Amino acid sequence: MTPPDRSALEPVVITGVGAVSPLGCAFDEIADNLLAGRSGVRAINPGPDAGEPVQFAAPVARIPSPLAGTCGLHPGEFERLGRLEQLCLSPLAAAVADAGLDCDRGPRIGLVLGLGAEHLTTWELDFLEGGERVLGDSRDRTLVHRLARRLGIGGPAVTVAAACASSGYAMAMGRTWIDSGWVDACVVGGCDILSPTAIAAFSHLRALSRRTDDPARASRPFDGDRDGFVMAEGGAFFVLERQTAARARAATIRGELAGVGMSSDGQHLAMPSPDPVHAARAISAALANAGVAPEEIDYVNAHAAGTPVGDIAEAGAIRQALGAATDGIPVSSTKSMSGHMISGAAAFEALACLAAIERQAAPPTINLDRPDVQCRLDHVPHVFRPRRIRVTASNSFGFGGSNLCLVLRAA
Amino acid sequence: MNLIASSPFPGSAGCSIRGHAVVASRLSSLAALRDAAVPPGCPALPPRFLRQSDEHTVVAVRAVLAAMAGLPEPMNFDRCGVIAAPCQAGRIAAARSLTQLQASGAGGVSPPIVPQCSLHSLGDAVSVALGMHGPHIGVGGGPDALAEGLFAAVSLVQGGTGSGCDLAWLVVTDWDTEPLLDAAGMPTNDPSCRALAMLLAPADPADDDRLSLSLHMPTAAVGAALPADPPAGGLAAFCRAVEMCATGSVLTSWAVSCPWGAEIRLVVREQVEGLMLHRIPAAVSRRREAA
Repeated sequence: MTPPDRSALEPVVITGVGAVSPLGCAFDEIADNLLAGRSGVRAINPGPDAGEPVQFAAPVARIPSPLAGTCGLHPGEFERLGRLEQLCLSPLAAAVADAGLDCDRGPRIGLVLGLGAEHLTTWELDFLEGGERVLGDSRDRTLVHRLARRLGIGGPAVTVAAACASSGYAMAMGRTWIDSGWVDACVVGGCDILSPTAIAAFSHLRALSRRTDDPARASRPFDGDRDGFVMAEGGAFFVLERQTAARARAATIRGELAGVGMSSDGQHLAMPSPDPVHAARAISAALANAGVAPEEIDYVNAHAAGTPVGDIAEAGAIRQALGAATDGIPVSSTKSMSGHMISGAAAFEALACLAAIERQAAPPTINLDRPDVQCRLDHVPHVFRPRRIRVTASNSFGFGGSNLCLVLRAA
Repeated sequence: MNLIASSPFPGSAGCSIRGHAVVASRLSSLAALRDAAVPPGCPALPPRFLRQSDEHTVVAVRAVLAAMAGLPEPMNFDRCGVIAAPCQAGRIAAARSLTQLQASGAGGVSPPIVPQCSLHSLGDAVSVALGMHGPHIGVGGGPDALAEGLFAAVSLVQGGTGSGCDLAWLVVTDWDTEPLLDAAGMPTNDPSCRALAMLLAPADPADDDRLSLSLHMPTAAVGAALPADPPAGGLAAFCRAVEMCATGSVLTSWAVSCPWGAEIRLVVREQVEGLMLHRIPAAVSRRREAA
């Protein structure tokens, strides 16, 4: 896919960040934990069936209440919201506050929420509490519109889903709205939640690690002993705006969303294509869209969830897209620490790239004891690697063959 | 509400509709669509591809195939994108899965529930079924799916600075009335599931496409309260409007309102003595006429 030339377009920059994750909810805390190689994975109660083989995940320990005044809710009211809405609203409000953005219900601020299975989750959580919404004839308005109204966002508000790449597609769409002049700023990102159905379904698909005796070492992307991914909840949101607008209001610019590349395998509903050509095309398209050559990439945050097939396919795609430059570019998977946040993963890993730029260090892949020879890359095992980092690439690949690459650049 | 077109050239601000088709099926008749032959000239589906698919996915794939079959000449869809906007897809399968979860624990959860019943599932299926390699996404998911799908499609096709997507299928699906389910998750009524598939391309005044979509953004702030839910049957009415505009049997136009005040209008272009006329609604209220 030939990406359009962005040379005539103004850079779109990130001026606000908000997150909820197993590694913390503040940018500095998350950056500290990523560079320290801490795992957010622990034993959990997976739901009604005690016999479920997967009894660990990476949950969010505590969802911070949004600051008073950012969403019109008192802490008590926030506590009464459903967990999915809490998980989205808290980082959304934090991103808006971090950017110092005055939404004020104007039509020039948009919201794109990456969320793959909102209705399934909503029906499930209601059903498990004794409700019957899944059986009735209700037509429930989607969460994105409630979130927009709570934050005073009066412009376009849309939910997008591309499985594990959902929040990255949300970032791409928000940038498109800004480029098109439809909005002046856009809040973008995504979040996901742990649910019994999701854990059971992924487990039955044999997609999850079953290393129950040692949860913190279960997520081991690129390792020869990997046996699947570890589910997590959380995600991240960003405020995007034009660089001149951000500078005009003296906003802190955390980085530039410089490039986006997207493609589809068009091959299987649940398995990545073993042929890396389509994923590689998304990476190449993102680099071209950002106007950077492979050797200018300083760090790659891999999608690498720890599945036997997926990690090999991604290593091949990276090598095909970056060519001879591959061996000099550090590649790591922060899912080794955070677990896999599904809809929220792409945005959280974009945040990890911002952390790498700010700290001038590539985060590690923990548990990478014995790199798989079929995943030959310049890995960052166990401990972070100090390095000059100005340009990063972050891959996200999802069920149904969705491929996405984001290029983030230092301001 | 004050509105402004997203380009100074009315009718080109948005995208052209290169082809379209509507497929609807009663729930009781849907099984026949799962294994039906593909229309002549269309690519074959992978074996048993729709056997476990959600009802929305079945009619969506069939609508895309029908639209393909209706194109005046074969096209290359290798880099084509897919925007799929279902309304509450997956509810029947979700109800069955949840009743099994309650009855027999996690072991009763069906593995395909996630890949087959998520917001992205419908777009996944169209992309995989037809082997297309452009980006594909699910959009909306609720009663505003038609408006959100149209808006996202225009984003991707017209404003796609990162997508590189110059051709995309927009597929919108909905029930005419929601299925009513008993305690075991079995339907007790027989609603109709409908899909509209439209092949979209960037607007180009040189094209002779009869139909296009035109985006109009609001200039005034919206209120704090959400507007009333869009009425059920909105997709059926929009499908009728598309077909009426396409055939020219009645000169009509239609606008879909987004919850944030934007409108996406169907625009009919007509060639009159060498001049291309863009007929757009004189008043937004006309959007109810075709209903």
